Amino acid sequence: MRAVRNLDSRSIIFLLLAIFVVVVIVYPLVQVLIRSVWLDGRLSLENYESVFGRSRNYRAIWNSIWVSLTATMLATIIGTLAAFVVQRTDVPMKNMLRFLLILPFAIPPLFAAMGWVQLAGPVGLLSNAYKAIFDVPVVPWSIYGSAGIIFVLGITKYPFVFITVAGALQRMDASLEEAARTSGAGTIRIMRNITLPLVRPAITGGALLAFVSCIDNFGIPAVLGLRVQFHVLTTRIYEALTIPDLPLATAMSMLLVILAAGAIWLLGKFEGQAGEHAVIAGKSIRPHIISLGSARPWVTLCLLLVIGVIVVLPLFALVVTSVQPYYGAPLTAENITGSNYDAVFSMSAARRGIRNSMIIAPVAASILVVVTALLAYLNVKARYRGAKILDAIGMVPFALPGSVIGVGMILAWSNPPIGPTLYGTVWILLVAYLMRYMAYGLRSCRASLLQIHDSLEEAGSTSGANRLRTLRDITVPLMRPGMIAAWVLIFMSAFNELTVSVLIWSARNETIGVWIFLMQDSGFPGRASALAIGILPIILVMFLIMQWLSQDNVSI
Amino acid sequence: MTSSIAINQLTKSFQNIRAVNGVSFGINENEFFSLVGPSGCGKTTTLRCVAGLESADSGRISIKGNDVYASAEGTDVPTHKRSIGMVFQNYAVWPHMTVVQNVEYPLRVQGVEGRIRREQVDRMLKMLGMEQLGNRKPSQLSGGQQQRVALGRALIARPDVLLLDEPLSNLDAKLREQMRSELKRIQREIGVPILYVTHDQIEALSMSDRIAVMNNGEIHQIASPAEIYERPKTKFVLDFIGSVNYLPCNIEEATGEHVELKLVDGQRIQIPRPDYVPAGPRALLAVRPEDMTVAVSSSEEGLRMMVALRSFLGNACEYRMRASGFELLVQTDKKLLLSEGEGVRIEVGRGFLLDADAGDRADARVG
Repeated sequence: MRAVRNLDSRSIIFLLLAIFVVVVIVYPLVQVLIRSVWLDGRLSLENYESVFGRSRNYRAIWNSIWVSLTATMLATIIGTLAAFVVQRTDVPMKNMLRFLLILPFAIPPLFAAMGWVQLAGPVGLLSNAYKAIFDVPVVPWSIYGSAGIIFVLGITKYPFVFITVAGALQRMDASLEEAARTSGAGTIRIMRNITLPLVRPAITGGALLAFVSCIDNFGIPAVLGLRVQFHVLTTRIYEALTIPDLPLATAMSMLLVILAAGAIWLLGKFEGQAGEHAVIAGKSIRPHIISLGSARPWVTLCLLLVIGVIVVLPLFALVVTSVQPYYGAPLTAENITGSNYDAVFSMSAARRGIRNSMIIAPVAASILVVVTALLAYLNVKARYRGAKILDAIGMVPFALPGSVIGVGMILAWSNPPIGPTLYGTVWILLVAYLMRYMAYGLRSCRASLLQIHDSLEEAGSTSGANRLRTLRDITVPLMRPGMIAAWVLIFMSAFNELTVSVLIWSARNETIGVWIFLMQDSGFPGRASALAIGILPIILVMFLIMQWLSQDNVSI
Repeated sequence: MTSSIAINQLTKSFQNIRAVNGVSFGINENEFFSLVGPSGCGKTTTLRCVAGLESADSGRISIKGNDVYASAEGTDVPTHKRSIGMVFQNYAVWPHMTVVQNVEYPLRVQGVEGRIRREQVDRMLKMLGMEQLGNRKPSQLSGGQQQRVALGRALIARPDVLLLDEPLSNLDAKLREQMRSELKRIQREIGVPILYVTHDQIEALSMSDRIAVMNNGEIHQIASPAEIYERPKTKFVLDFIGSVNYLPCNIEEATGEHVELKLVDGQRIQIPRPDYVPAGPRALLAVRPEDMTVAVSSSEEGLRMMVALRSFLGNACEYRMRASGFELLVQTDKKLLLSEGEGVRIEVGRGFLLDADAGDRADARVG
């Protein structure tokens, strides 16, 4: 009797979740897949032919690959070195350094791109200083084009590598290194023969995550590439949709999927390997800390300098630009003005963008936390058959570049067979965020449920509490930290989102990110910067909450 | 006496594996009843069926005369409506609640008024010796203290039966010994029948009023600790409780008092007649190390053997004795110090006889 009733309530929840997953994820994905090979009512590869038929298109693919690869290399070098220095040497203020090094994770890449234009662009702060010092009319470099994109991508995506490598170093069994030491190996030799090989899977894993994130990125190549006609896939898809050439955009986003899927497939292989290494012992033995000796202040200074350039300088440039009367104005006290802030925050359209983001991001986060908590519960605790499949589908968008999600949303919601036409409304943004960030919620909720041993819930029922009461008094309170962490992460990501939003926004339905990009793109860097600096406190507060929640656990 | 808990023909399979196969037993009022056996023998599954955490395939379970599970009538009372208290192997103390909140939870679920609840929790914590720790979180407690919290939580609502699933296995040796007597004291104070599951025969022997020895989903014997030890019914029980030497032999002569055996090297030996004597002539002699006495080699009686290896155990000595064709593990008083290579005479005070082919049969008859 009881079994039947439980079956019913679970089946109803399962059915609702299945509908959610199908509508939000499966339907748009299938649309992209089918429309890329379907033209005028028949199966056709013409869309792909038009991709490879025009140099402008296939060059964008090639650019996406080599720019992302080079940027990933830069990110891997920065991330790995920083992780070793922070985790394994006696540099001071480790927690502060760690915090600052992860900070770029929270700041939208668009901000970094804008900041670097304002630093190293033709009339940027650094460029002007260079011109004054060396007394030359122009600087011998250009921030626009591939080199600038690679540089800014590299210094914004290295936290992926830093976080995974620092985590692996922290969990590494100290006895493995001690065994080498007792075998007579010195510090350098141990690093080369033992430590580096052991953390190599973590380095590769972090690098692949960074690669996928580079391929996915729109803001940086848009700000630094569009004006010199340097295209990558994401900016090409953006262009194709402004024409609009939907079939072309669809075919190109399928190619983007293939690139990302390849990287994720490799990631899976390397994560499998990482498991074979018995590195993670779960012991609290601290690995050996290398004493830097007399080099300690220099290494510290060097690291602070790097952090200053990577993290602080671009934000500083944004602040400067935001208080200047016009872009490139001389840096004098008279030239400080609040006019950009006045202009931006009195603009009803920009205010509307802020309001939209302030509503959509928390709504998306709340819906996803509830949905993913239920799904994770069905999967992990109730062991409901079929929940596993929903969970797997929910993880798919984790590997999907944002442009694909954007194209999928347009295809799915422009003229849907049933239901409302969401395209052209603010709701399409919400649905897009639900699709894009479901995996974040699933990962977090699943992880926190797996940590709750079955006996904790069983102890509830042997204490006389029924299933609902056990859920309320025991399971949910124990899951809460994971759910809050998921909420904050989703809120922050959705709040900062640009890649998808820029493809599916419409008049009156903009987000903050879209507005900042549009202002920057249409030649108002001062206003764009003012808006960026204006919302920075919200982003920083969310980031602080996230750090506080994960305590000093180094994990994504 | 009527049983507080009665289990009848309980069966439970997991993917075609019979975890519990027709298990029946009863627990009397205030009795300490242990299920003991190796891991995977079905003891924990049986316990979880009693708790309702596992749904049995068939059989009947009743608590205080009321069926909580009966396959014939389709009865299956959910766990939270069975009057039980349970202590889990990993304690399962809720980490987000304080000691008091953990212990009072069953009362809160029942809707007991705050003042009365507080009183009962105070009394319980006092009995557990934890008055000072009421506001601590589990993470601030030692393993032994967490275990007391789990015990308090299981007992606070005065359950009809207390279920204990290897509760001592995560404690260190000293603490385990202390908790054993503590458990007995608390049971006497509160008066509740206990179903105790363990793989540790010492634990079962020292605490239980009765023991059921399980293997492969079946109960081999239910008896008092002394009887289990002295008069095992099957080879499995003999093996599992304590250690045993096995020697192939021939039965030469069996009288009402004694049995005379011939060992592989031709030596003859007389043992007191055991409960079961195989038809013979070939048989298997089983002797516990502590059931033999060692005499100096000049003695006329007993097996002639030689000391091969000596291990000093602190409270006793253990010797590996060798004769041509067989070896024996013998435990003696620690005062009897023999040197390796010394010749001795060994008398068997008590032995069991099994069929000659009983070597691989766990259910071979012993008593």
